Amino acid sequence: MTPILKLVDAVSRALFRLAEAVTLILVAAMIYEVVARYVFAAPTLWAFDISYMCTGVLFVLGAAYALREDAHVRIDFLAERMPRRLRLGIEAVIFLFCLAPIFASLAYVAIGRALRAYQSGEVEMVSPWAPLMWPFYSFIALGLVALALQILAHGLRAALGRTEAEFEIEA
Amino acid sequence: MLVASLMFPALFALVLAGIPIAFSLALVAAAAGFARFGMLAPAQLYGSFYSASTNFILAAIPMFVLMGAILERSGIAERLFKVMQLWMARLPNGLAIATIAMGAVFAAAAGVVGAVEVMIGMMAIPAMQRMRYDNSLIAGTICAGGSLGTMIPPSVIAVMYASLAQMSVGELLAGMMLPGLLMVALFVVYILVDGSIARRRQPVSLGASALETGSAGADELLDVSLADKLKLTATSLAPIIALIVAVLGSLLAGIASPTEAAAVGAVGALILSIAYRRFSFAMLRESLHITVRISAMILLIVAAGTMFMGTFAANGGSSLIRSAVAGAGLGEAGMIVFFLLIVFLLGFVLDWTANVLICVPLFTPFIRSAGIDPVWFGTLVIIVIQTSYLTPPMASSIFYLKSIAPSDMTYGQMCRGVVPFILLQVATLLIVALFPALATWLPSQIVGF
Amino acid sequence: QEVTWQVPTSVPEGSPYYVNFLERFADNVELLTDGRVDIEPFGAGVLVPALQVYEGVADGVVQAGHSTPSYRVNQDPMNAIFAGFPGGMGPEAFITWIYEGGGKEALYDFRASEGFKSLVVGIGSSEIMAHSNVPVRKAEDLKGLKYRTSGPWAEVMKDYFGAVPTVVPPGEIYTLLQRKGVDLIEWGPPSGNLPEGFHEAAKYIIVPGVHQPTFLWEVVLKQETWDALDGELKPLIEKAADLTTMQALLHFYAEDVKALETYRKGPNEIITLDPEFVTELSEAGVDWITKKAETLKSEGKPEMAELLANYMAFEKSWAAESSYLIRNQD
Ligand code: NA
Ligand code: NA
Repeated sequence: MTPILKLVDAVSRALFRLAEAVTLILVAAMIYEVVARYVFAAPTLWAFDISYMCTGVLFVLGAAYALREDAHVRIDFLAERMPRRLRLGIEAVIFLFCLAPIFASLAYVAIGRALRAYQSGEVEMVSPWAPLMWPFYSFIALGLVALALQILAHGLRAALGRTEAEFEIEA
Repeated sequence: MLVASLMFPALFALVLAGIPIAFSLALVAAAAGFARFGMLAPAQLYGSFYSASTNFILAAIPMFVLMGAILERSGIAERLFKVMQLWMARLPNGLAIATIAMGAVFAAAAGVVGAVEVMIGMMAIPAMQRMRYDNSLIAGTICAGGSLGTMIPPSVIAVMYASLAQMSVGELLAGMMLPGLLMVALFVVYILVDGSIARRRQPVSLGASALETGSAGADELLDVSLADKLKLTATSLAPIIALIVAVLGSLLAGIASPTEAAAVGAVGALILSIAYRRFSFAMLRESLHITVRISAMILLIVAAGTMFMGTFAANGGSSLIRSAVAGAGLGEAGMIVFFLLIVFLLGFVLDWTANVLICVPLFTPFIRSAGIDPVWFGTLVIIVIQTSYLTPPMASSIFYLKSIAPSDMTYGQMCRGVVPFILLQVATLLIVALFPALATWLPSQIVGF
Repeated sequence: QEVTWQVPTSVPEGSPYYVNFLERFADNVELLTDGRVDIEPFGAGVLVPALQVYEGVADGVVQAGHSTPSYRVNQDPMNAIFAGFPGGMGPEAFITWIYEGGGKEALYDFRASEGFKSLVVGIGSSEIMAHSNVPVRKAEDLKGLKYRTSGPWAEVMKDYFGAVPTVVPPGEIYTLLQRKGVDLIEWGPPSGNLPEGFHEAAKYIIVPGVHQPTFLWEVVLKQETWDALDGELKPLIEKAADLTTMQALLHFYAEDVKALETYRKGPNEIITLDPEFVTELSEAGVDWITKKAETLKSEGKPEMAELLANYMAFEKSWAAESSYLIRNQD
């Protein structure tokens, strides 16, 4: 089991690194737009699309590893008072049997959307730049797949009773 | 409608069982979505997730967080707060006041609430802890200061509210001005009074020596000569003020939108770190790591909140509220209280965009036909949104704080810390409710270009 | 009720298009079908993403959706002819083309080829060309101005007049105009702009709305959904759509006139462009769409060019012969 969990972690970490790079792209694009518009009176056609796409991509790609770091905020003052096994049991059941199928189905739809956008050559609806949409859809799909896997891994860890240390990273 | 009415209790149960907020929201949304859409639920839920992923308003969040992370990781924030302490040493709870002021200035200009709180929090928490401020006060100050952007114009929330309510944006912004200032004044007075009491109880609360160690005693700080103070200020405070001016100035001069101003802030912070010779790739990597982690956390909550809103509405949630209003036969005052209560409760679950999107169209016809002043009512709603944002157990401002808080700051301390500020906000609400002129006078004076 | 449709639209609940088009349609359908069909309107982004109403219908998430061909222009420029384009026909001529000149049939055929049943639900008046911080009276005045606009008009402004089209997201338009971050903006018709408060942010109001002389919204369903409907109900729903479109346009006229009166009473200055300048702007717009159609034709897709020829022929006769109409214009 452990090698599989480690593989999932590694995938999440790689996407998280990618999200860090996307953050830099976002900043650079916005600065470029301000300078282009204000100094050169020649705003770009793409800065607006890039801003929302980068934001969407960076959070979706970062979500899985954020779960690995247990950075998704929870209110645990009641949970902390529960017996350890009960708490892990709830965590395992909810992650394995509720959240994993939910996010897997979201990932499934996301992959379908990316494929459809690729095949139909879908472009942005209102942007004067009108970029192709499939790369953006693909990143969302990628992030959701990783998140679904990480949710599964998190549930398995809870079921195996290994999650305790992570819970305490952030109290 | 049965499903819609079960959604809130189910959500609270999951959250209190310790399931992360974003996943609790997603789970309840999925269950309700399944009840309404059957096998098409994933497609509908994905739509909501996609809407949140393409919401341009959120683009400012990662960049404001990055700005805060760089300033904090590079040690610049620490210098800033030390110098502020230098000048404010005589003032009880001086740093807390500085934090509130910074919150008012930044959040107001940017209008994006969560990001500014995280940014200021990252800088202020370590500084205030070193100066031995009480954890509860730190938490309360940051949550309250960071959420001021809702109230003080120009706020994105007010612009969206006015547009949805078919009323004048200028009038609503002007109407919120005095209540917003009143709220800040109440915050400052409370912090001063709290500080004076604490100081009387424990005369010299700060120990040890010298700025370099980061734990200067209050008395020693008072002894620093004016020349030294000015020198330290010029080297530490002035560059940061220049950065703040660059961010705010680019906003107010119409050079940059809030999103772009956030980028200006992030790059400015990076330049400062290089100027102070504090830049390193490790520092940048660390800042980016923090940025992605916190942004992913905040935006996943927003995405899940959007899913929740969609399935709540699809299951007749809005009709539920509408028929409750129509059926209750409330008088004018009763109706206002009822509306504000709904905003408050929805604010527990939804971020302000979703809250305003659901409530405003729902209330507007009732408010209009009852002849209630829309500026006054709008101001009340916005105060309540901000209060809801602060009120435990489900309080976005506390979630955001939790993502950056050191491990010695407990959830209990955070909840205790926000209580005085919640009371002050309720006081503001009551004052504006009793004296509508506070909201309605200014618009009649100043609206225009 | 026999049929309940949850119908999302692309604008927020409470906005003029929502109330005037979609809510009015829901009420008319209820009235004409004796309550047998229940249409439940939803604001933008609640059930499906604001700009993906058509996709939501195609995927079956919702039975019907309300949106505008404007959002499909990037995908297929032919949509611009139905959405209203710079230099195109104004509401009076356009609605006549839609109902009497073959426009509606062309739209319905076009949508049928995409698997949709379409119903025209809402035709609008002309938009305000700009709320502006600087006066604009002739072509040279536009040079170098930062103009918040989108779609075809952005291309026309840039390529033909040297203006600088700027993308500004909806929630930030007011603030950026007020802070003079952009020189001028266009948004909607007078009654739509009034609640957005742009007249409080900038002094000059520039008319007429050459950039968007009219606009059209439609309700789309999957063909199967429509086919499955009781035969008695179909004509009733179609009549409800026609009725809604007529009533809504008249309502826009009435509200627009009131809005302009409000503007005129205040400190704003309304600039009505000279006919020569309006012609210059219109011709640029027509040139833009003609080139689009020609490009498609050269790629082996002649449909847009054919439709445009039909449209222009109608416009030509209307322009030549409509001088008999009394318009009561100063
Ligand atoms: Na709350
Ligand atoms: Na427009």
